[in-house]
Amino acid sequence: MRAAIMGLAAIAVGLVAGTGLSSGAAASVTMTSQTFTPYRTCTVTATPVGTTTVVDTTVRQGSATTNFGATNPLTVSSGLALNQRIYLKFDLTACSPAIPASAIVRLATLRLYMTAVPAACRTMDTFKVTAAWTETVITWNNQPFGTTINNPATGSRSGSFNMGSTAGCQNLAAGAYVVGGTVTADVTSFVSGASSNLGWMIRDDVEGSVTTRTATFAAKELGTVAQEPQLVVTYVTVP
Amino acid sequence: MLRRLLGLLLLSAAGASVGAAASLAFTSDTLGAATATTPRCTAAGLSVIQNLSGTTVISATVGVLPAACGGATLQVTVNNGTVNATGSAAVPAGGGSVTVTLASAPAVATAEQTDLVLIGP
Repeated sequence: MRAAIMGLAAIAVGLVAGTGLSSGAAASVTMTSQTFTPYRTCTVTATPVGTTTVVDTTVRQGSATTNFGATNPLTVSSGLALNQRIYLKFDLTACSPAIPASAIVRLATLRLYMTAVPAACRTMDTFKVTAAWTETVITWNNQPFGTTINNPATGSRSGSFNMGSTAGCQNLAAGAYVVGGTVTADVTSFVSGASSNLGWMIRDDVEGSVTTRTATFAAKELGTVAQEPQLVVTYVTVP
Repeated sequence: MLRRLLGLLLLSAAGASVGAAASLAFTSDTLGAATATTPRCTAAGLSVIQNLSGTTVISATVGVLPAACGGATLQVTVNNGTVNATGSAAVPAGGGSVTVTLASAPAVATAEQTDLVLIGP
């Protein structure tokens, strides 16, 4: 009997001692979430002048064997044997942190600063370049898309914008960056690795105009930071 | 002696009942990892333009904000590879665009990262 009572007493003491161990446990954890929208942007700017992260040049039909890699401005022109095209390329590996291959590109915008607009509204087509070229070697005659005017066809363009000083044109005046240089699909393919980043060619939608129509843009060689060519890539890493 | 033990037993039992009320049961299940989606006000392609003063970035204009983001707080951080500059502003009720002034003005670099976070609405 005495032993039994001692045993009960020991159990009771044990229960009391045990309360200190178990009383800290949480019954539940409630989590709430607030609307939270993260984006990340990489802006690649053609600065300083000597950077190789951005390369830009013009090829001129009228000077078919001359390289203009170090020339400002960049020019798009439509004329009789006087067509001019822009080639430019942005090295996205300069972005830090690197844009993951799995990133979802929400918007990619090519920004060129207009220094002269045509007197008539002209459409500028952007084409993804698919063959290698270098800034200091490329000419009209050796350009990746060849010397045939209006080639590649308009239908294969990545995007377009129009500019000119006539009412209703998208970009009316010099002294500003162009509006409408969207290249999201191309940058998506660059980031994912689906295609190589060899940049873009920009040409007048209708080359060979009887009246020469010319648009000019600041090249990196201008050296004015606020007017340098830019590529702005906005993306998310989690959908 | 017996009385003392009975007294101790009663005291202990009383303590046990108090302790039982405060205690919770532990289980030995595995605590696993999980992910949960966070609600977002937009999946649109926001435009981001850096505004310069000379060769430094003084603000950023974020555009294409839908009305669903109206009232949210937009936090912007610009990193030029050397320094960070931050700022925040409220998104207008109807969305649109908002210019966020940075607390400092980092120099323009060849490649810059801009982080955008919309909190709320």
